[in-house]
This record gives sequence, structure tokens and C-alpha cells, in this order.
Amino acid sequence: MHTKDELLSHVRESLIELFEIDPERITLEARLDRDFELDSIDAIDLMERLRRLTGRKVPAESFRSVRTVGDLVDALHRLLETSTA
Amino acid sequence: VSLARQDAYYWRFAGTAFSFTLFGLFGLLLGIVVLPGLALLPGGGGARCRRARTIVRRCFRAFIEITRSLGFQSYRFEGAARLGQPGQLVVANHPSLIDVVFLIAFTPQANCVVKAAMWRNPFTRWVATAARYIPNAPTDRMIELAAAALAAGETLIVFPEGTRTRPGEPRVFHRGAASIAVRAAARLTPVLIQVSPTTLTKAEPWYRIPPQRPHFALRVGEDVAVADLAGIPPPRASRELNSRLLAYYAAQLPSTD
Repeated sequence: MHTKDELLSHVRESLIELFEIDPERITLEARLDRDFELDSIDAIDLMERLRRLTGRKVPAESFRSVRTVGDLVDALHRLLETSTA
Repeated sequence: VSLARQDAYYWRFAGTAFSFTLFGLFGLLLGIVVLPGLALLPGGGGARCRRARTIVRRCFRAFIEITRSLGFQSYRFEGAARLGQPGQLVVANHPSLIDVVFLIAFTPQANCVVKAAMWRNPFTRWVATAARYIPNAPTDRMIELAAAALAAGETLIVFPEGTRTRPGEPRVFHRGAASIAVRAAARLTPVLIQVSPTTLTKAEPWYRIPPQRPHFALRVGEDVAVADLAGIPPPRASRELNSRLLAYYAAQLPSTD
């Protein structure tokens, strides 16, 4: 089981390692597309890395509505909760 | 280039209509008769797919030689013997509708990323299914399948522009091709395609045929380095590779006209 805090630190670590984003800019409200300029290929790279960290396949459909770092953490949390239930 | 109608213009006009019909008939005949027939032969899914790709390659080659011998086009393909190596990602610029026909015709056992719409077109869907080509959408699925095909030792053809070039406009490569390359390509081989005068471009309907007989010049270029990008995070590696590719094409084929 992953808490939201653990998931946030996974996301934070991934954003820093993959995209060299300044840690201070990674807030729950930060927009992945506008603030970090991630495109659809970046999203795929990010999902792959999160899959390795969480040990679960992350279907792209569950991230259609993700805009911010907070959305991403929530979506991951929901996904992991339903898949372990 | 003179705009006067030359090289048996009206013959070539009729020929263009004929070529489309021929291509559609090939597609239907393969889908309805040949491929289902081949599926009855012994061998598993892998053998069936290899047979389908062999048949498609021969049909495309026949299509090219028929349309050439009737005077509808001429072509020269340099270095084609270097196509078809295991784990090879073949990329090409995309000036005309039939670039993919040339590449598949000259690449043994080619896999290819093609428009997802091919699976909705009755003339192409059976071939696309039997040869297990990879639909270009959704992107995450495309990248996953493409990387798996290369890792399994297949040769994969991708057009990084995604769609045909609009003549005169700057060339744009989607990062999907570079992303596939950094994940799984053993080698990255660029093919340079020039069609003069242009024909069957994105910007004109099929019946607006060029005043002269079109000539297709295809050349297999030197491999573009990918090995040195291993170990760099994929978003950065694919961006770097995409700019290498664009720089290569800009140097070799400066104009998109």
C-alpha cells in the first residue's frame, strides 16, 4: 500500500530525474504541461518510470484528466487502491 | 521545370487512376483470397505473419514495376541492400503517398507504423492485420508495440513526420520515432526520398498529376548514432536524437519542395 505522501515523493523524484525540474517548483498545483512543458511522449516516459516505482502497470486512460502534480498523485492513489482491493 | 504537359500526360493521367484501382484490387484480393488461403497452411502465428509480409512485399514490388513499365513513374533506390537488418529502425521523410510502398517493397520482412485509419479501410485492413503492422495511435500503445518489435529483432519502418510533408513548409519530426529508437533500436537507418516533380503530396488531390513523369530517388543514408545515448534519461535522449535526425535531413535534403 502506498500513501499519498509516498506517491508524491515518487512523482517528485521522477520529475527531477527525468526532466531536471527544480525541486522547488514541484508543488501539488503545478501544471505538468504548462509549468513543466511535458508533452505526450514525456507523459509516456513518466508513466513508465512510475510503473517501475509502484510495481503496477499504469493504463494511460486513467490519466486523461490529469493536469497537475496533485491530479497525478490522486490518480495513482485511486489506481493502486482499486487494484489492490 | 516547364509546366507544359509532357511525357504522355493523358496516358499518365489515366495511369494514375489505374494505379489506384490496381492498388485497391491488390488489397482486396490479398485480404479476401490470398491471405485467408495462406492462413490455412501449417505453422503458427509467427509463420503466418512472415508469409503475409513476404506476399505484401512482392505485391508492392510488382506494383512498382508495373507502374514503372507503363511509364507512370521512374525510380532509383540506392543502398536498399542495407535494409532489413535485425532490430533496425528505418526512418524516412515523407514527400508522397507511395513512399511506404517503396520502403516495404525493398525491405525483407518489414514491420511498419501506419495510420490507424488503415484498419477501417476495406482495401487495407486485411493486409495491415495479417502483416501485424503497428497502428500510430494511441501513442503509448504504438511506442510499446514498436519497441517490442525491435527488441524481437524485427526491422521497423517509421515516418517521423507522421504524415506527408506539405511542400515548402518546414520539416517537423514527431518525437515518437526518436523515442522508439532510444528504447529499442539496434541501429537507426535514415532513408532520403526525393520526388521530382512532386506528386501525390499532402497538398494536392490525386488527379492533379505533375506535368512530367515523376522520378522517385531513394537513398539509404549512413546510420545515425544512438548507442551513445544509452544511460541518458529517455526524455532527454529522445530530444537529442530528434534534433540529430532533423539536422541530418536538413543537411542532406534542405528543401521540402
